[in-house]
Amino acid sequence: MYSCRMPQSLPDNTMAHIEIDNLSKTFRVPEREGGFRASIRSIFRRKFREVRAVDHVSLSVEAGEIVGFLGPNGAGKTTTLKMLSGLLHPTSGSARVLGHIPWRRESAYLRKISMLMGQRQQMQWDLPVLDSFLVHGAVYGISRQDYRKTLDQLVELLDLGDVLKKQVRTLSLGERMKCEICVSLLHRPEVLFLDEPTIGVDITMQARIREFIANYNRQQGATIILTSHYMADVTALCKRIIVIDHGRLLFDGVLSDLSERLAPFKVIKIDLTKELDGYDFAVLGHVLARDGRKVVLRVPKGEAAAITARLLTDLPVLDLTIEDPPIEDVIERAFANRLEQVDDGTNAPAPDGKGAGS
Amino acid sequence: MTHVVRAFLAYLRAAIGVMFQYRGEILLWAIWGLINPAVLYAMWSSAAEGNPGGEAAGFTRGQFAAYYFIIMIVGHLATAWDVYEMGYMIRTGKLSPLLLRPILPIWKSLAENVAYKIATLLFVVPMWCIFAWLVTPTFDTAMWQFGLGAAAVLLAAALNFILGYVVSLVAFWVTKLDALGEVYFGLGMFLGGRFAPLDALPEPVRWIADGLPFRWMFAFPAELLMGRITSQTEALAGIGIQAAWIVCIIVAFKILWTVAVKRHAAVSG
Repeated sequence: MYSCRMPQSLPDNTMAHIEIDNLSKTFRVPEREGGFRASIRSIFRRKFREVRAVDHVSLSVEAGEIVGFLGPNGAGKTTTLKMLSGLLHPTSGSARVLGHIPWRRESAYLRKISMLMGQRQQMQWDLPVLDSFLVHGAVYGISRQDYRKTLDQLVELLDLGDVLKKQVRTLSLGERMKCEICVSLLHRPEVLFLDEPTIGVDITMQARIREFIANYNRQQGATIILTSHYMADVTALCKRIIVIDHGRLLFDGVLSDLSERLAPFKVIKIDLTKELDGYDFAVLGHVLARDGRKVVLRVPKGEAAAITARLLTDLPVLDLTIEDPPIEDVIERAFANRLEQVDDGTNAPAPDGKGAGS
Repeated sequence: MTHVVRAFLAYLRAAIGVMFQYRGEILLWAIWGLINPAVLYAMWSSAAEGNPGGEAAGFTRGQFAAYYFIIMIVGHLATAWDVYEMGYMIRTGKLSPLLLRPILPIWKSLAENVAYKIATLLFVVPMWCIFAWLVTPTFDTAMWQFGLGAAAVLLAAALNFILGYVVSLVAFWVTKLDALGEVYFGLGMFLGGRFAPLDALPEPVRWIADGLPFRWMFAFPAELLMGRITSQTEALAGIGIQAAWIVCIIVAFKILWTVAVKRHAAVSG
């Protein structure tokens, strides 16, 4: 288990907006062998398996934080968000968001939060965009004045002016995503659960959405939990990340700390003036790639300076860069290490999840 | 409550907007709703005319015309489809966004239900008039029967909607509800007096029909409006039974909804 320290850069004078204590969710899922015989057998005897999607997760998120929630598919990220938004009841454990128990689904609570689930439709497919916004305004009891003011701001920030009168089904994916974000924010939620908010949109649009989320957090002081498979989302928005796998917390802390612990390496990229056949790069570090004049080496962080000096002395270097390993690699290592730990049983997390939380 | 009314009206306007986008589809659904009573009228009127006394199950041809004319109207006004829709909503995860809103999803369903009836009026009223002109129904309806009958039709519509919605909550347990929807529809057809007036059924079946809500959704308002229920006490008792069913089912909804949402697995995404 990696240490789960509180992040170093939390907003000051904060109080916890989200507090989770030993939250678990187990699903009972039917399963059977493949084939016709198994199909017939299942008529008389159905088999079920218990799947623990979230396993004793404890954590706390302060007001105004943006937290990146990372993990592979099926890690338990979305299940956790669904419990926090009140969509799912937990099997055990407790949670409070803005002082409310989410799964009581009190109207006062649901007015203060928003959950954006990827491409999930909140918009009315067959109607102009504005009609969905009007319905949302009425459902959330937004005064006409506030509605107009917020809508104008969001339309400007998200550059939605040209699509307001278009039928939703005629919009491009990026336009629809922006509309989904707009409708999610019309009631100015204090807590936002963003599940893959940039999924399926192009790089330019991803950047705009990221910028918008950062602005919203800054201006409204909203607390945001974000899941994404795009590391750019996480690195751009989240100082703090929480890594989850097999329902358990693997890490809770600042991103650079995770990188430091899991990947104490530097990546040296060298561009030579000419090809060299006889030089043994492997004695300096792990050769990640070699293509003609270009070589990529992974070296221990502590030795990076010395190895760089040696490379510059030994070789005709045209260009040399030293970089941190890509965050994707770091996260990948986190999941791989977790499996190894569980396999050898040495550092498996405590069953009560204590120590996992921050 | 003001908030719920505002949300309901917004849902209603949006739903009417969607229905007008699909005018052809809505027209076909409305026509489909008329075919069934028209066919059954043709069958029963032939039976009545074929009998020596000109009657079948105590109805003359003209009375069958009146009965199925009203059944046609009541059937349309009371139609509800949540029992078919809820399983699909849960299976595909489309219910989740509705559960995140600070208003129960039933209000959206109710708005769509009312919207369908408003949007189809333009089509069905002329068709009802043409049907009545073709079959020349025999009415024996006093003003009080008409007044109470109109109230009974509205209660029937409310009862069918709320009962259908409560039955649809089974989808939280079994997910796929299509077969249950057919059974529910079939019971409404048989015990609601839509296949045949309840007088045509054996007495034990009529007792069962009296004890279940289906009679009060279809046969009762039709019998009242065509003047077949002649006692004011009986008419008022029937309306009381309709109201009692509605109250009981609303209570059942409140209890079941809480339990059902706890079971919700929020699939897809």
